[in-house]
Amino acid sequence: MATQTQSAMESKSNADVAQKIQKLREAFADAPQMAKTALESKIQDLASHMSEPRSRMESAGRTGSRQGKVSELTLMLTFAPGGARRLRALLQAQNGNFDDADKVGTVHDMRFVFLDNDTKLVFATAYDGNWDPYIDDFATKIPDVMDIAFSAFEGWPGIHSPEVKNWIAKHQVTAEGWFVANPNLTVTETRRLEKIGKAVDELLDKVA
Amino acid sequence: MSSTTGASAPNLSLNASTLELPEIQATILRPRPAPYFGTHVLLRVDDAQAGRDFLRRLTPHVDSAADWWMADNPWISVAITYAGLEALGLPKDSLQSFPEAFRVGMAARAKELRDEGVNHPKNWEIDFAKGQAHIGLSAFSDSENERRRILAMARQQLEGFSGVSVLLIQDFGAQPGDLNPLGYKDGIDQPPIEGSGVEPLPGQGRPIKAGEFILGYPGEAGVPLSMPQPEVLGRNGTYLGFRKYQTRVGAFNRFLRDNGSTEEERELLAAKLVGRWRSGAPLTLAPEVDNPALGADPRRNNDFNYANDPHGRQVPFGCHIRRMNPRDTELTRLTDVNIHRVIRRGTTYGPPYDPNDLSEVADTTPRGAIFLLISAKAMATLEFLQQEWINAGDFIGAGDERDPIIGLQEEGATFTIPKQPVRRRIHSIETFNVLRGGEYFFMPSLSALRWIGNLSETSSIEQREG
Repeated sequence: MATQTQSAMESKSNADVAQKIQKLREAFADAPQMAKTALESKIQDLASHMSEPRSRMESAGRTGSRQGKVSELTLMLTFAPGGARRLRALLQAQNGNFDDADKVGTVHDMRFVFLDNDTKLVFATAYDGNWDPYIDDFATKIPDVMDIAFSAFEGWPGIHSPEVKNWIAKHQVTAEGWFVANPNLTVTETRRLEKIGKAVDELLDKVA
Repeated sequence: MSSTTGASAPNLSLNASTLELPEIQATILRPRPAPYFGTHVLLRVDDAQAGRDFLRRLTPHVDSAADWWMADNPWISVAITYAGLEALGLPKDSLQSFPEAFRVGMAARAKELRDEGVNHPKNWEIDFAKGQAHIGLSAFSDSENERRRILAMARQQLEGFSGVSVLLIQDFGAQPGDLNPLGYKDGIDQPPIEGSGVEPLPGQGRPIKAGEFILGYPGEAGVPLSMPQPEVLGRNGTYLGFRKYQTRVGAFNRFLRDNGSTEEERELLAAKLVGRWRSGAPLTLAPEVDNPALGADPRRNNDFNYANDPHGRQVPFGCHIRRMNPRDTELTRLTDVNIHRVIRRGTTYGPPYDPNDLSEVADTTPRGAIFLLISAKAMATLEFLQQEWINAGDFIGAGDERDPIIGLQEEGATFTIPKQPVRRRIHSIETFNVLRGGEYFFMPSLSALRWIGNLSETSSIEQREG
């Protein structure tokens, strides 16, 4: 009985994989020959992952994805008149120093990418946990930082507005694909392990 | 220690109040008497007009916070759920002016509140699981006789109404020695509120802006929080998270026995879990041995910070009180501690704590605490606390560990006690308090109660349909 169930499950999963491969081949039907050849040489490799359960990717709060403890946030924003010039001046003045982001304690990385002749910006970040529980903390702890940067964009309601969470969620685009090497390491935990690693090395130096 | 009627609560220094105290319900500002006795009653409104008539009759008996520092006994408070506001026939635009988490109710926010596993609403007591509670009435007093008297008065208001039914009557009262179901003196550290009319007690910190706790006043961000409309409904009101816990006393006692070989070791472990000895004496001020006189003195038992304990060797980072009010602890995340505080009115029910009861029967005895958690943004605050400070530990450097008292522990959970030369990590800590039910209530001002009571059938129907 158990073996029957197992083989039934296996054949279902094989059928699923075959279907996914077929869909992939269909999607590539109009691709350049180079891409088709590459796909065929890679297809067994891809098939071996298709039967595995969907990766650790889950939903992060209202929008965005999470893997383990790390979440992604991607915002697609339209500059207000003069906003691109102001934000660029600000970023250049900061010269790569993001002390306030560092203080937030959950931010792994941030990128500001100016697009379409300085009319749009993609803001992308990886961070720990959820952002919405801490939005009120930003409003009392770093309101100026938030308002200086985000008033570059159309419709920014101001960090004190009750609409601010909705505004962020409205401009959020969930990444279709996203990879995190260490999904269980928060910024805090990484720093702790870094410290412990150093201490262990020092201890071993003394012992040796 | 016991307060007498008409006397000023002990050890409070008065100053000028800037709040509309005669409008604000007493429970928001007035602490429990010592000892305390009381009853929570949950009611369902089956007929809008009957519900409003009942509210109109009851409102003159609801106490305001005027002279709240006078230990005036007894008093009652009234709060209404979203389902209750609907059942009372509030106009549609008023209903829609309430925040979403309040409208859907506590059970529907289980995911955000991390109410999972044994704490999941599907395991709650039936009255909470069905979301039928409409009106919550709480009576507080300093004697059993007074409790009965005020309850009889409330019952009188109910008489003759077929459209209002009683769902639940839950008596509560302090255990001998004013202890909670795990044998601790509790309710010591409350947030100080700006303009409330009294000076903060030593160690309470600077007063927090009233708008964090009462609608209509500026909050810590300098602006009032958005409130239900019209203004007469929202102003001077607040929200209340009602959480009923059942305490697993046997599991707690077995945990102490398994991890402490002497009475002294067990009591120290009990103190390390909370951050206070059972007497209420804070570990920061009494790190080695208990000091009951210190625990009993409201001008001293909260007068400390963590400046001299940056490694948690006196008070573990992961213990209950350091999580619930980190004070000056350096947190790993940008956090404004003052915007995540709640006023707690903890009410204990069931038989007293027995330190020698190791039985599994003691895990299911109906005994525990009902918490009234009060804040002008109670829904957001409870979700923050449950997600960040109770069922996680990263914010304070406690990794994946959870609050040892009110956290929901996972299989193989640990509790770390920092000490020299190496920390002690205790394995297999269990969930000691299981959630049995909960709901969000709006606690209206006295004027708002009258406004709701005087809504007429036609006006509310017209507005609802319009």
